Amino acid sequence: MLLNLVVMVVFCLPAGGAASSGQLLSEPSPGVRGDIQIWSWNIAAASLEKLIPSFQERYPGVRISIDMNGSSVQSRFMLSLSAGVGAPDLSQLQAREAPRYALTGKLTDLTAVARKYERAFAPSFWDSCVQDGRIYSIPWDIGPCAVYYKRSLFTKYGIDPEAIETWEDYVAAGKTLLERSNGQTKMLCLALGGLSDFFEILLQQSGGQIFDAEGRIALYSNETLESLTVIKKIMDAGINANIFPWSFEYFASFKSNSIATYPMASWFGGLMRDYAPDTSGDWGVFRLPAFRAGGLRNSNLGGSVLVIPAQSTQKEAAWAFAEYAMCTPQAQLDQYRDFDLYPALLSTHQDPFFDEPVPFFGGQKVRRLFSLDIDKIQTMNRTTDWMEAVRYIAQALSKWTAGEREAPEIVLAALEEKLSRRLNRPVAPGSPSGKGRP
Amino acid sequence: MNASLLHRIWAHRHFYLFISPFFLLFAVFGLYPLMFSFYLSFVQWDGLTPMTWVGLGNFQNMFHDEILLTSLWNTLIIGLLYVPPMFIGAFVFALLLNSAWLRCRGLFRAAFFLPVVTPMVVVAIVFGLLYGQEMGLLNYLAVKLGFARIPWIVSEEWSKISVSVLLVWRWTGYNMVLMLAGLQGISNEYYEAARIDGANAIQRMWHITIPLMRPVFIFCSIMSLIGTVYMFDEVFVMTQGGPGTSTTNFGLYLFNVSFTDFKFGYASSMAYTIAFFVFLASLLILRLRKSGTE
Amino acid sequence: MMSRRTRQILLRLLTYVMLAALAALFLFPFYWLLISAFKAKDQIFALPPQWWPSPWRFVNFASTFEKTNIVRAFFNSTVIAAGHCTLALFLCSLAGFAFAKYPQAPGRDKLFAFVLATMMIPGAVTLIPVFVVLCKLHAVNTYWAMIVPGAASAFGIFWMRQYAAENIHNDLLDAARIDGCGEFTIYWRIVLPILRPALAALGILLVIGSWNNLMWAFIVLRTKNMFTLPLLIYLLNCENRTPFELIMAASLLATLPLVAAFLLFQRQFIQGITAGAIKG
Repeated sequence: MLLNLVVMVVFCLPAGGAASSGQLLSEPSPGVRGDIQIWSWNIAAASLEKLIPSFQERYPGVRISIDMNGSSVQSRFMLSLSAGVGAPDLSQLQAREAPRYALTGKLTDLTAVARKYERAFAPSFWDSCVQDGRIYSIPWDIGPCAVYYKRSLFTKYGIDPEAIETWEDYVAAGKTLLERSNGQTKMLCLALGGLSDFFEILLQQSGGQIFDAEGRIALYSNETLESLTVIKKIMDAGINANIFPWSFEYFASFKSNSIATYPMASWFGGLMRDYAPDTSGDWGVFRLPAFRAGGLRNSNLGGSVLVIPAQSTQKEAAWAFAEYAMCTPQAQLDQYRDFDLYPALLSTHQDPFFDEPVPFFGGQKVRRLFSLDIDKIQTMNRTTDWMEAVRYIAQALSKWTAGEREAPEIVLAALEEKLSRRLNRPVAPGSPSGKGRP
Repeated sequence: MNASLLHRIWAHRHFYLFISPFFLLFAVFGLYPLMFSFYLSFVQWDGLTPMTWVGLGNFQNMFHDEILLTSLWNTLIIGLLYVPPMFIGAFVFALLLNSAWLRCRGLFRAAFFLPVVTPMVVVAIVFGLLYGQEMGLLNYLAVKLGFARIPWIVSEEWSKISVSVLLVWRWTGYNMVLMLAGLQGISNEYYEAARIDGANAIQRMWHITIPLMRPVFIFCSIMSLIGTVYMFDEVFVMTQGGPGTSTTNFGLYLFNVSFTDFKFGYASSMAYTIAFFVFLASLLILRLRKSGTE
Repeated sequence: MMSRRTRQILLRLLTYVMLAALAALFLFPFYWLLISAFKAKDQIFALPPQWWPSPWRFVNFASTFEKTNIVRAFFNSTVIAAGHCTLALFLCSLAGFAFAKYPQAPGRDKLFAFVLATMMIPGAVTLIPVFVVLCKLHAVNTYWAMIVPGAASAFGIFWMRQYAAENIHNDLLDAARIDGCGEFTIYWRIVLPILRPALAALGILLVIGSWNNLMWAFIVLRTKNMFTLPLLIYLLNCENRTPFELIMAASLLATLPLVAAFLLFQRQFIQGITAGAIKG
């Protein structure tokens, strides 16, 4: 024991030397100066870029550079936090990952300056920004979901988007499409190894969970079963193209006529406008198909927050920009207009802007469509293991879909048990898989 | 006695002086990490929050870790898929390049060897392009020739094959050069003697070349074993270990546990355990050498 | 009935054809890399594929220079490869020479056996601790983090000792000592020149390893101004809106130096690669 203690003392000197997570106590004054670096990705990065001029009218002393980051951003961010060097002054994070980073103690405590916004955002979202009563991140956008479809293809093959009300209808439409196009056009991209986004959309729509409120494994439920059944039906019908999400082929498919629909979040529209501007007007949006007639036709995918790493030396300037971009209605609406980032800021949702027709989508009033039933989307119990759990589930599902695709009940029961062991969390007592019963 | 030892040490002070820079760095970046890592295998730690002592817990978890088992399985399968063709290719190329009548030897050698000096990240990107499902060159040719598209890196079955093809391309030249050096080390006298005894080409190959090449083969086998277990760039860049976990070998999984999940303790216990088994396997291969020469 | 001679000629012809075909297959990815680096983004993915860029877009390189930090990355890669190689060669030759030529030093054999034993332990085991050590030394995101940790290579010492033992004669050292040379002068003036072929071989191995290293760069290089070529290319490839024509141009630039060096110094490269194996 004593030896153990000695070893602990020798080995556990804090790495990096950066002491505790600094608190941000003071409101930045308009005279604050500094060069801040921001990590963000994709259209979100472009969106921030566009806000810089109007921000600098208020804070002329702050200069901003934005770095785009791709898939390895989690590793790189954690490595930078560990090393105490290399993290930006302000970083975008997936909302679902925020709790894990807050736990490291390497993020700036924003409580003093951010508490006043507690009521400005949906409580379900705000929760993921708070750790032990302290605020570590600030909400940015949310990802309500619908299905993007290519109008020309739907017209050509005689499919009525309004008639697709359930996932059943969706699969049937996919079959029709496949048949009438002689197999040239698939309904959607759904790669065996790239199921996690689609699974998350279905899971949250169905009302299923991975964890219960106490953090126990609660994957097995009728809702999750329904989600898996939809994936199975799509795969069995063969209406999906085996194209990886975010691969270059995926983006190239916007322009070719090989894919007819993309069930995705609001921010996806911004991606399409960015990658395939010349397809403007050819796109439409219909509401997410329900699991059964009359069911919920919305869900959430993604959504992000901004954090200030504790190692930043420009905390005031960073907060000034974060506050401007996230908590000012005009800035949020600008981001929605230009990049389809659906505002997390509640006060924006009443703006008449939501009822304007959008030319890229053939003049459709898509913003209102995305906002329908948004308050009925359930809150997910994230926990710090969320990302690992989703990754693990997606891998298991990929194996499932690639094989014989046995009944979802069997997969889920096995998965629940494995997940429980892997994450070292008990299975929720009520689970129908029976694994949680004493 | 003691004084004389000190005296002898002083007399050879230059020896200690000359090896000290090495040992200094070695202590900091070799020895201490080895001990630290050993200690880490008994704790839970993410590098930021305090450590928790878990005893043998990390080692026990390994038995239930399905992805670890899958990654070891993948390592084995990928190894079996690429090592035999690579070995045969390397040996045949080496034999040909070693034959006196062949012209343009430098050219051929360069062609087969160039992949070895190419940055792996570049190789993985270029192969990724060629393997593309809808717009890749290989599938374009497949369709043109009347076959169905091959899901090179988007199906769990094919992805291992595709990675193996890349590995064959990448490492054949390396092994070829080693084997060529081995062949050139075989004295011509053996062949002369065999020729006088009337041995034909196949007999010479079987009774002289292959036995004398055994040490080289063994070295190549051990290098391939270690290379496959700890392979990283290839899969990290091209497939990220996917689809699913189908191309996650041990090296990539270890990296993911270390620097994506930041489970430093668990990663250390895995690294130590697998290093131990790789060591055992290498010993086993070395034993083959002994039993063969006896 | 073919004569023996004809059969032999035919057989050789067949061998040439096969070798040439395989060589072409092995070279094909380089060809694809080369032409892709000169295509526009849409042409890279065009169907049917373009076998020859038209026009050759040199502008890809101009925009790579402009839009990415490639010049800096090139510089970083060079500094790191050169630094790593020089440091490792110095350490290993000095210690290898000492191990070979001071047989009476107490503890020499034990120390050497110890070095050999550590060769068995793969680098993967020490990845995390070395990162933690570098964190504590505040050396993350510096050239040192790339140059120093791998420089104390047990293999390097082993190889140097072997070469020194075989090729340096004690008479030569003794003669120098009689002439009044200090031990370090002996190392510098006499030993190093003799070790040159071994240094070249090991150096080439070290440079290839360092130039192409992605994993360690990913872990310890944290800011853009420190990125090496492989890391720069990897991260470009990670960007959602992948600028593929830039990636291909950067890839070509990262590949060229070693390929060119190989073509110029083929013999030394081959020796370098074989160096470790023969004695292993």
